[in-house]
Amino acid sequence: WLVSSSLFPLSCIHTSTALQRFGKWEKKNWIVYPPQLPGEPRRPAEIYHCRREIKYSKDKMWYLAKLIKGMSIDQALAQLEFNDKKGAKVIKEVLLEAQEIAVRNHNVEFKSNLHIAESMTGRGRYVKRIRYHGKGMFGIMKLSRCHYFVKLVEGPPPPPEPPRTGFDQAKEYVQHLRSRTLVNTL
Amino acid sequence: MAAAMKAGLRGLGLRAGWQTLESVLRPAGAALPCLIIPVRTKKKRFSVPEWARELTPEEKERRLKSLGTVFPEEHMERTFYLACTADIIDPYIPPEGDARLTSLSKDGLKQKMEKMKRTAASQLALRKIKDHDPNFSSKTFPEKAQEIFIEAHNSLANFNKQKLHSLVTERCYPEMVRGNRYKTIRWSFVESLEPPRVVHIRCDSIVNRGNLYGQVTVRMHTRQILAIYDRFGRLMYGGEQVPKDVLEYVVFEKYLVNPYGTWRMHGKIVPEWAPPKEPIVKTVMIPGPTLDPSQEYEGTK
Repeated sequence: WLVSSSLFPLSCIHTSTALQRFGKWEKKNWIVYPPQLPGEPRRPAEIYHCRREIKYSKDKMWYLAKLIKGMSIDQALAQLEFNDKKGAKVIKEVLLEAQEIAVRNHNVEFKSNLHIAESMTGRGRYVKRIRYHGKGMFGIMKLSRCHYFVKLVEGPPPPPEPPRTGFDQAKEYVQHLRSRTLVNTL
Repeated sequence: MAAAMKAGLRGLGLRAGWQTLESVLRPAGAALPCLIIPVRTKKKRFSVPEWARELTPEEKERRLKSLGTVFPEEHMERTFYLACTADIIDPYIPPEGDARLTSLSKDGLKQKMEKMKRTAASQLALRKIKDHDPNFSSKTFPEKAQEIFIEAHNSLANFNKQKLHSLVTERCYPEMVRGNRYKTIRWSFVESLEPPRVVHIRCDSIVNRGNLYGQVTVRMHTRQILAIYDRFGRLMYGGEQVPKDVLEYVVFEKYLVNPYGTWRMHGKIVPEWAPPKEPIVKTVMIPGPTLDPSQEYEGTK
C-alpha cells in the first residue's frame, strides 16, 4: 500500500453479521421462471421451506413427515395439532411459517389453497456425549438432530391413487402377453 | 486487511460483487483514499525513578525523547460520502386538475403555470446552478431528463444494476428496486403526449455550507406500458397490451460541487388529487378483530 501525504483511517465495510450458509433447499426458492404466455395454463406456485438442526431423531420425525405427505395444509395442521409427538409441534411451526412466507413473498392468493407435495427429513449434525452407567461404566451417547424439508404447492391436493386390484393386475398381464413379438422369424 | 476484507465479502456470497459496493460507497468522482494500517507499539508501563523526579522541564523532555517515540492513539473513523440528499427539498405542489380539461380559459391556466416556474426561489436556484454548471439550460434539460428517465426504467426492467446506479440516486434506488428481485418487469415507453417541462428548481446544502445539491422537478405527460410478473411467470399487475397515460412530476438531482457529478433521478412527487392506481390481480385478506371464544363476530355492514 502506498503511504502518501493524504491519509484516511481504515474504514470497515462489514456492518452486518454473516448470514447462515444456504443449503440447496433454500436456494430452490430463488429460481425465477420466465413470464407465461396468455394461452398457457397458470403455473402453480411452489414454496420450499425447511428447518435445520431440530433436536429430534430423523427416524422418529419420518413418521410425521410420512403422515402429512399429500394432505392439504389445513388437514395437516389439524392432524399435527392433536398428535402427541415432540416433532409434531416443530413441524406445525414450520408449516405455519411456510404458509406466511407463501402469502407474503410468493404471490399466493389463498393461504388454504396449498397442499404438501413433498415432506422429508434429513440427518443433522450428531454430537457424542457420555452416558454414565453404574459401577463406573459408561457408554457413548449420540445426540441426534435432524432437518425437516417441506414443499408446498398451490392448488387442491391431488386425488389419492386407487389401490391396485386383482382386475388391474389381470389386465396388465393380458397386455403383456399381447405385446409379445416373435423374434428371429419371418 | 484489504485482502481479508475482499475474502470476507466473497465468503458472504454477495452476488453484487466488489464493484457495485464500491460504486455505492464511492460513486464516480471521489478520489481514492489511501489505506494505512496504524501500528500499535507495546504499551510501556514504567514509573519515574527517584533521581529523575525533580528536573527542569527541558531535561524532562530530553529524557522522555530518549526513552522512545510515542504514537498518538488512532481512532478508527468511518468516513462517509454523501452523494445525494435524503429527501426532496421543498416539494413542488402541483396545481389541481393539471392534466384534465378545465372549464377555465386555457390561456389563464397556461400563464399561471408559467408564473409558478418564475417564482423567486426557483430563479435564485437556477442562477446558483448556472454558476456551477454553465451548460445548464431550462430549455434543453427536459429532453435530457426524459432520456435519463427512459434509460433508468429500461435498466430496471433488465436489472442492469451498474447502469441503474449511475442513472438514479441512492435515495431513489431502493424505492425502485425493493421487492423486485424475484419478479420480472416489462416496461416500455410508447410516446410522450406533451413535451416535458421544468417546473420547479431548488438548490440546497447539507452538513456544511457550500456543499450544494441542485434539484429540478420536471413534469412529464407520457404513455407507458407496464407489466409485472411474479416468480412463476404469472401476471401480477398491468398488462402488456394496455398503454396507460401517466402524468408525473419527476425530481432530478445533481451534486453541484462535484466536478464529475451527473443529473440523476431522485424521486417522484405524487399529488394528493392523483387518481387511485389499478388494483392488483389478487385477493388480499384483511384481518378482522381478535375475538374471545365466547364472542361472536357482529357487523357485516
